Amino acid sequence: MIRKAISKKTRFSLGFFSVLALLLGYTLLSDYQHRRNPKDTVIPNWGQLGEGVQKIVTPDRFGERWLLVDAQATGLRLFLGMTLAVALSLLIGIHMGCFPKFEALLYPSLSLLAKIPPTAAMAVLFVIAGRGYALHITVITFGVLPTMAMAVYLAVKSFPDELQFKAYTLGASHSEVVWTLLFRFVLPKLIETTRLTIGPAIVFLIASEVAFESSGFGYRIRLQYKLVAMDVIYPYLAVLAGFGFLIDHLLRRLERRLCPWSQHR
Amino acid sequence: MKEAIALECHQVSHSFGEKKVLWDINLQVERGQFLSLVGPSGCGKSTLLRAIVGTHLPRKGEIRIDVEPNGYGKSSILRTVLESSPVRTVLESSVTRKVLKTLKLARDKPAAAPNSLARKTQIVRGPGRDRGIVYQHYSLFPFLTALENVALGLKLDETSMPYRLVFFQPWKRMRKEHLRLAEEYLERVKLADARHLYPHEMSGGMRQRVALAQTLIMKPQIILLDEPFGALDESTREDLQRLLLELYNQNQEARKNGRPPPYTLIIVTHELNEAIYVGDRLVGLSMYWNWKESGFATCPGATVIYDQPSPVFEPHEVREFERFEQQRQEVRHKVFDPEHLEPAARHITYWDERRNR
Repeated sequence: MIRKAISKKTRFSLGFFSVLALLLGYTLLSDYQHRRNPKDTVIPNWGQLGEGVQKIVTPDRFGERWLLVDAQATGLRLFLGMTLAVALSLLIGIHMGCFPKFEALLYPSLSLLAKIPPTAAMAVLFVIAGRGYALHITVITFGVLPTMAMAVYLAVKSFPDELQFKAYTLGASHSEVVWTLLFRFVLPKLIETTRLTIGPAIVFLIASEVAFESSGFGYRIRLQYKLVAMDVIYPYLAVLAGFGFLIDHLLRRLERRLCPWSQHR
Repeated sequence: MKEAIALECHQVSHSFGEKKVLWDINLQVERGQFLSLVGPSGCGKSTLLRAIVGTHLPRKGEIRIDVEPNGYGKSSILRTVLESSPVRTVLESSVTRKVLKTLKLARDKPAAAPNSLARKTQIVRGPGRDRGIVYQHYSLFPFLTALENVALGLKLDETSMPYRLVFFQPWKRMRKEHLRLAEEYLERVKLADARHLYPHEMSGGMRQRVALAQTLIMKPQIILLDEPFGALDESTREDLQRLLLELYNQNQEARKNGRPPPYTLIIVTHELNEAIYVGDRLVGLSMYWNWKESGFATCPGATVIYDQPSPVFEPHEVREFERFEQQRQEVRHKVFDPEHLEPAARHITYWDERRNR
């Protein structure tokens, strides 16, 4: 029978097995490559990877620890970009959901903007926003805002009329309906959408760092790629994966903390 | 004893474009009445109720409501500042009075306070805190626990958002009092144990109980129920009907002691038994009436064609539908039967029967 429940133990061991198989496959592949060319750097063996990790955590000749510098730069850019996107999407989404005039005004242009791939529009954004933080924040916001604003707007629309009417019979003012009731209703949806869009946001950010930046994960990866230094790139990818996990975990905890009533956990 | 009229529908008509729904509804609801509104589906019961709630105003006519002037308003920042003791000392000092007097802004003696007990009639122009509503679905805020849901009205009615932000400490004290009161109301609907549950953790019957408490705590002039028990199973439904009868009992006790009855209620239901069992007055709304005789070419909409008293039950009595079998048959025939057309006013005898009693 399909969709039959399995025990926790089975689930865990199967998951463990899949990761193990991944690592084992890599080991075999790199071993095979090194037998043909002992100096290979495309598929570094575990020893080379260890050296790569050494390289990124110890200070280079300018006294910079790469990982630290890059994580700081990329993290701050991502944080600023996402904060702006969340704030704007909340503002736009709530207005669109509450006022049909806003809805009629913004809906067409928003869905049009959503169709333009931000990585393709990067050249334009580069001309408009210039270099540095402004560019990255613009790219992230441009990339995720349409999706997020639309999600907030739909969440506002799904707020039952009955609850709105009821709020008025309980003596609520318009602003109270929006900011003490609607806002709380929309909050879990907002956090969830943030969780889903943080992946694309990282993609856009890394792309803009690869193209225009002299610090950050994207910049480092481009530099090391030219040197075929995969021993540095693989640990960076691992760090990025960890980074994604951490953010996702934090957002999930935030949702559980702020919206214990939400059923999607 | 005659009570004040809590709510009046005056020549209310409504249509959605070409489709005529309500025609010339005239209805007076006395304080303390439990009025059941029945009618065939699509007759505009819910439209009328929505007009009374004020969310969808009627095209013609008006709904008047008897409002007791509220002694307290929202605790606004301005009010709190004006009522603080230093400000009051200054405002009430003799020097201020003299200044105001020379500026001709104040009289010698304070003007006589308006009779605070005077009632006034207001026309319904939108939803307001004088009318409580319980819907069939979505009656609770999903992000609040049972207790918070019940206390919500007090919070929204007595404080404003800026007040809660600026006067955080007084608000916290006030909140404690609100929650205590909310707990009392939860006990009244026999749900004290469920106070920390979220709506999605409750059964349908529990949710409607909480919704009732949420409305009762506001002490509205009139309580409106829109198919409140429509989604519940029969035994839960009976429990909730008894709860309403208990409220009716309190009305009668109040009358006996010479106090005005505290609860006035309109219940819209498609269940005829429920309507007769819960209410003390049965109003039938229907589009099946003899409008040709009144000179219309097409049906101008549903109107009140039945308005009579219905038997009153005690909450602990056995629920015997046989007791009102005759009335039920009569209503079934006159209100629900599309073949049976009579002039609209023939069965509107509620007030005559009241007078004769």
